[in-house]
Amino acid sequence: MRSRQGLTRILSVAAIATGIALLSVAYAHTATRPQSSQSHGKTFGTFRAVIDTIDYLDPQQSYTAQSIWAMWNVYIPLVTYQHVDGAAGFRIVPGLAASLPTVSRDGRVYSFKLRKGLRYSNGQPVKASDFKYAIKREYLSTGQGVGFYKTIRGAAKFGATLKGDISGIQVNNARRTIKISLTSPRGDFLTILALTFAAPVPSGTPSAIQNGTIPSTGPYRISNYTVNQGFTMVRNKYFKPTKYIPRGNPNRVEVALVGDANAAVQRVINGQADYTNAAVPPDRIASIKNKGKLVVHATAPANTYYFWMNPSQAPFNKLKVRQAVNYAVDRAAMQRLVWGGLGRSTQNILPPTYPSYKKLNLYPHNLAKAKQLIQQAGASGAKVTVWTRQVSDALDAAQYYTSVLNSIGLDAKLNTLPRSTYYTTIGNINTKAQTGWARWLEDYPHPLDWFDVLLNGENIVAQDNNNFAYFNNKKINKEIDALKKAPILTSAVNAKWTAIEKQVMQQAPWVPWSNRVWPEFFSKSMGCIHLQALYGVDLARVCKT
Amino acid sequence: MAEPATDFTLDTAAALASEEHEVAIVGRSPWYLAWRRLRRNYIALFSLAVFLLIVIACALAPVYAHHVAHTGPNDTHVAEQVNVGGHERPVIGGGAQFNAKTGKFEIKQVVILGPTWWHAHGKFVLGADNLGRDVAVRLLYGGFNSLKIGIGSALICTLFASFLALLAGYYGGWIDWFITRFFDLIWAFPVFLLAIALGSALSVNGFHHFGISIEPGSLWIPTLVISYVLIPYIGRPIRGQILSLREKEFVEAAIGQGAGPLRIMFSDLLPNVASTILVFFTLIVAINILTEAGLSFLGAGVRLPDPSWGNLIASGQNQIVTAPWLALLPGIAIVLTVLSLNIFGDGLRDALDPRAKVRIER
Repeated sequence: MRSRQGLTRILSVAAIATGIALLSVAYAHTATRPQSSQSHGKTFGTFRAVIDTIDYLDPQQSYTAQSIWAMWNVYIPLVTYQHVDGAAGFRIVPGLAASLPTVSRDGRVYSFKLRKGLRYSNGQPVKASDFKYAIKREYLSTGQGVGFYKTIRGAAKFGATLKGDISGIQVNNARRTIKISLTSPRGDFLTILALTFAAPVPSGTPSAIQNGTIPSTGPYRISNYTVNQGFTMVRNKYFKPTKYIPRGNPNRVEVALVGDANAAVQRVINGQADYTNAAVPPDRIASIKNKGKLVVHATAPANTYYFWMNPSQAPFNKLKVRQAVNYAVDRAAMQRLVWGGLGRSTQNILPPTYPSYKKLNLYPHNLAKAKQLIQQAGASGAKVTVWTRQVSDALDAAQYYTSVLNSIGLDAKLNTLPRSTYYTTIGNINTKAQTGWARWLEDYPHPLDWFDVLLNGENIVAQDNNNFAYFNNKKINKEIDALKKAPILTSAVNAKWTAIEKQVMQQAPWVPWSNRVWPEFFSKSMGCIHLQALYGVDLARVCKT
Repeated sequence: MAEPATDFTLDTAAALASEEHEVAIVGRSPWYLAWRRLRRNYIALFSLAVFLLIVIACALAPVYAHHVAHTGPNDTHVAEQVNVGGHERPVIGGGAQFNAKTGKFEIKQVVILGPTWWHAHGKFVLGADNLGRDVAVRLLYGGFNSLKIGIGSALICTLFASFLALLAGYYGGWIDWFITRFFDLIWAFPVFLLAIALGSALSVNGFHHFGISIEPGSLWIPTLVISYVLIPYIGRPIRGQILSLREKEFVEAAIGQGAGPLRIMFSDLLPNVASTILVFFTLIVAINILTEAGLSFLGAGVRLPDPSWGNLIASGQNQIVTAPWLALLPGIAIVLTVLSLNIFGDGLRDALDPRAKVRIER
């Protein structure tokens, strides 16, 4: 008996010890697990979203905010952005790379190493050479992002011939290393690598557009896509969450494409959808806010709406005329009449999300002063054609703008172009457009995406210009070029961007008037709603009550 | 000499009647008879009066704008206050506001000034639109533009179609074949599709060919586009009538008397189809006003900021919940105009030829 009792005691002690050990291991595992993936408790079935439209579901082709909103969780580049709320969302973090790259002293060489054990959603291993293929595929498919990667050595040549190799990308599949050499240092290169254009895809993927059929590397893969109707995202079983990229809460994401904003909103109210980002007509915003959860966010996508004035075309060749127009526009009133107040008045080029942003107030609304400046410039009665596109908010803004130009003594008329041809027409140097409506939604969060693309006169070409004002100031061009080389946005670099912004606005080639904010409408059943600074509603982190 | 048993006199019925009643019956022209019939049709006359009232009101738009409303059709008053019955009211008020303290937007409804009904000294009688423009002024100017296009395009279309129909019907042969194929070519396209395509294409750069220069945004663009797309709808039935009349004895008689083609076409054939053309004209005006409204609604007609009833409806639909009058008023104006024209057109048809079955098939 004693021996049996002794055995029982020994077994009991062993069982307790094993239990404690197991609990310790479990605790230790939980404690070391990345914070972002602590979302298993919030996992739920299907998240049903309604958006208006997408362009493509192909990483080398997607360019619209709506497409990228979904693709961000499907195709992961070497570096990406954190799934967190607030300004921390702008921070670049490793994506498929094991860590941020090492950058050579001269800022021309970026060295990456891929994470170990990466697989596509079809089980195929992710190779270092797939990154090179993604950049080549961007050129082969004439993707919309080709312009971003021309700084890579050999990329421009490959783009011209579509043959051979890109010498500036050296890969080693066995060591999982990628070395990118640039022709010249480029301060915004990491942000460019964070675009989905650079997301690796299996080598040999056809260059023709593949809507959702390319295996994914993110937490989700696209399981089906019906043109103009919608697509579905399901979990990628080969995805391993990281410190920065969570597993995702919904098991499935169903996205319906509904062009009519009222119908999209009604779906959420009726319980047929959980969320829509439809541009709700201003007069409905107040009435729907009690029928669901209306969230307004001011960061994604960072934007500036503006009117450009071409200094090479009379009467805008006179600084006083450009300044007069800046004084004449009532920016506060415009927020109300164009989008029901869901916008913030601005006189800045950069949106307020930028570290270099410093609020400008060079042109407070003053109609009398504007009229006086027009008279002083001898521009009374000067004929002006205002260009805009046939979209309701652009039409409203441009009609008001035309009326303002007339009220200060110019003789303005409006020329409306179809949405599809607007930018190509005003971006053609031979159009010689005087002034018109435009907006810019950032491609990536770096001042170069604004000043170099929109206001550097050295980039003016015959067609497809983004510098609609055809602004070409040699001193400012030189300063932008100098800042291109700064690899990191230090406070000294940001201060220089602030100074450039002020110099540009003193020349007044633009009338910036709004940083638009977007209402996001959720059903009452939605619990946690997270907004990522760049991509908007973070569908990986939403949850239901 | 004995009287014949039966009087085979060739006296006209009028002469016999005059003998019987001892009153002279005066010969009446078809136009007089038509007018006599029309003036008994009070509904048609009322409709004509309504239409004329609309035309006069719209034609006086500049007078109203200058002397009553004191604003132009495209002038915006976004930050102004208006005294309505002793109370200052913003033309555009409310709207979401950014609260700098909380860093959040406070959602509020945009409030657009509604109809003041003469309580603001003639300003904003029918309220303001979303850009703070006077709706009454824009409605009148818009009506004037719509009527100019509707009537102008109907005139051009009717004249051109009638001329082609005369040529085709009189000459026949290859001329008829060529003109009929031209009608078929236009007929092959749905009216709106063709009009939208032409309107959109011409509105970008205007028309600058054959010595003709029309600037984008000109009212001539929708006028000519609508005229063009509706030509076969008038030309074909009139050609049919001309073909039939061409075989009548009076045409042969005219030819026998040595009349030339022009004289036969314009002196003999045209008067015989004049009543049909007139009825077609009234009906086509109504159709053209509707077509213009449709084109402008879709952005292929009158270009903003210039108003027309069609683009006023399009602009107003975004505020249909909070300011329904913006879309309703031009809609009502279109209905009244088209209805009055259609009723008057039907009355005119009955008056000109009670047996006729003139209608435009689309």
